[in-house]
Amino acid sequence: MIEFRDFSYRYPTAAADSLSSLSLQIPRGQFCAVVGANGAGKSTFCFAASGFIPHFFRGEAHGSVELAGKPLAEAEFGSLAAEVGIVFQNPFNQISGARFTVREEIAFGLENLGVERGEMQTRIQLALEVVDLVDVAERSPFELSGGQQQRVALASMFAMRPQVLVLDEPTSQLDPRGTREVFRAIAALSEAGTTIILAGHKLEWLAEFADRAILLDQGRVIADGDPDTIFAMETMGEVGVGRTQFTDVAAAAQRAGMLKDHAALPVTLAQAEAFFS
Amino acid sequence: MNSLKKEFSTFTLVLIPVAIAINIAVGQLVLNLKLPLYLDSIGTVLVGVLIGPWAGAATGFLANVVWTFSGLFPQAMAWAGVAAIIGALAGVFGRAGLMKSVGMVVVAGLITGVVAAVLSAPIAAYVFGGVTGSGTDAVVAVFRAAGLDALGANLAQGGVSEPFDKIATFLIVWAVMLGLPERLKARFAAE
Amino acid sequence: MQAQSIYIDHPSALHQLNPLTKLTFTLVFLVAAFALPNAVALIATFVLILVPLAASGGLLLPLLRSAFWLVLPFAISLALIQGFFSPGQTALFSLGPFTMTLEGLGSGLTFAARLLLALGGTLLLMLSTRPDKLMLALRQRGLPESLSYIVLTALQIFPRFQERARTILDAQKSRGLETEVGLLRRLALLVPLIAPLVLGSIVEVEERAMALEARAFSYKTIKTSWISLEDSRAQSILRAAILFFGVVLVYLRLTGFWPQ
Repeated sequence: MIEFRDFSYRYPTAAADSLSSLSLQIPRGQFCAVVGANGAGKSTFCFAASGFIPHFFRGEAHGSVELAGKPLAEAEFGSLAAEVGIVFQNPFNQISGARFTVREEIAFGLENLGVERGEMQTRIQLALEVVDLVDVAERSPFELSGGQQQRVALASMFAMRPQVLVLDEPTSQLDPRGTREVFRAIAALSEAGTTIILAGHKLEWLAEFADRAILLDQGRVIADGDPDTIFAMETMGEVGVGRTQFTDVAAAAQRAGMLKDHAALPVTLAQAEAFFS
Repeated sequence: MNSLKKEFSTFTLVLIPVAIAINIAVGQLVLNLKLPLYLDSIGTVLVGVLIGPWAGAATGFLANVVWTFSGLFPQAMAWAGVAAIIGALAGVFGRAGLMKSVGMVVVAGLITGVVAAVLSAPIAAYVFGGVTGSGTDAVVAVFRAAGLDALGANLAQGGVSEPFDKIATFLIVWAVMLGLPERLKARFAAE
Repeated sequence: MQAQSIYIDHPSALHQLNPLTKLTFTLVFLVAAFALPNAVALIATFVLILVPLAASGGLLLPLLRSAFWLVLPFAISLALIQGFFSPGQTALFSLGPFTMTLEGLGSGLTFAARLLLALGGTLLLMLSTRPDKLMLALRQRGLPESLSYIVLTALQIFPRFQERARTILDAQKSRGLETEVGLLRRLALLVPLIAPLVLGSIVEVEERAMALEARAFSYKTIKTSWISLEDSRAQSILRAAILFFGVVLVYLRLTGFWPQ
């Protein structure tokens, strides 16, 4: 579905590549987590997967990123929004402000796509239900909490029916409650069949929902595979990604000889319970 | 027309409402502090120097539409044309490279202030009867007492306050531009 | 959270009118404010036409209250400045070397009445019309979507920017911004507060632009609309009639028909 072919990219004023020689495929319907330290290339990965590189960011790109076999660089930028959705960190910046209620804000993207009103009604209602915002549909999106605003952004994208939804640290400015709300909503979108690419730090949540994890360091893929395995790797610390407290405790217990060596280290609370029992 | 289109990328389009919000937020703040300045065109001047005259003019004009809609200052519409010209002037000065040294920035502010005073005076005199309904009317009264007519007194009052205000505005915009990250500067230059 | 406009929701025929119809009313009130010859005609128009219109929309009190507070400072300035400094023969009283004349006071109050009608006409539109509906009506008549985006978004985000400004200011209050007497001193304190506020907002523009692109803003198609507006043959006739009335007012003014 999305394929990186030997893709490298450097920002206009940067001295080094932010992504170098990436080659990988993300199949339809997958929930793919992208992890790495700050500056490892997570955001750049998101922008490349959604066509903002090279359409919005100038700079130097080599290789290609393809969506369903067509290079994003050759697509018309305006029409890409119908194919790939993207959600960013800052909730406030994603509310367009051009419409006055949550329902109208979700409608905004559909209006731009020229969707007929009857169809809009159906899509908006479904999107509100999936992200659990039916109760606040008639309120101003600016009156909502950060977690609710992020769910408005998710619903706005979901209603546009993109094949792929890219999320660049969607919960990094949210409190635990907001994070939980947003991850549940993302999981619901994933279950509805949307391909998800999520860059973030919250390994516990990613381990629970993601099918696959890609670990980036200095613009390169250094691990790619099962999230539980990757998030428990010793090398995580070396590339600046903190493992979860459950993993660290279990690893310490293993080193201390309290437990047998070859059991897989836990990442989430549920796994930790199983591990220690 | 071509240059008009070129100035209105999505980036510019998003910058303008942010600039208008800056105009209003800072303008109201300064008003509440009872300073003898307006500082309600920082965003307009910023868009002018960063993007160009057309975008600056649009920001000035639409800022006054928004002031009117917001109910904070419904009479703002009367000054929309003046605000547009302030934005356009900032654009011209930006293109001419006047935002490079502090001396030139002061000159740009001074010229803009004088133009604003000259354009505002007839509006104050003929649309509002020679007053603004604010504290500056005391200054107008002094000039009227000295024998000037409505137009003259408003011109004199504007001539005192506008250059001062616009110099301060241009200096703040200059300071903001100095603080812009390189990456964003490159983007503005490319817009 | 502060309201983004002064619109007041109310089930009334005035609210239901197409925004263009109300905009036409406002334009003709503005024309009338500067075309009508004297305070009597101005006040009569305000009381006999504007007041009943506002009342029909349940907006009489808010309109009168807003108009009063808007016009009051102008009226005071006009009465004093015109009263003392405009030419006139009939002296009312003197203050030092200056004399308040009846003619000067009259011309000041006439101007206040003009502003009352103009601002009242503007308030009528703003109080009874959602800004997004007005913008939609204008888009349907060819206003570019981009201008509508700018106005509506600015209206909704500025209260957030005000909050930010207030937060910064509150943090600085103790440092003397409000208590300090010297003007230059206060300015010197203010500028370092404003520059970061502005800078921070500009840095966010990139993400806002991307978010807008993600909403298919640049998608090339005929855009549809979720909200809808009512319009009718009767309303377009009404608009034409009001406009004609406005043109007549201008004609009468320009030809000097009014007794001055």
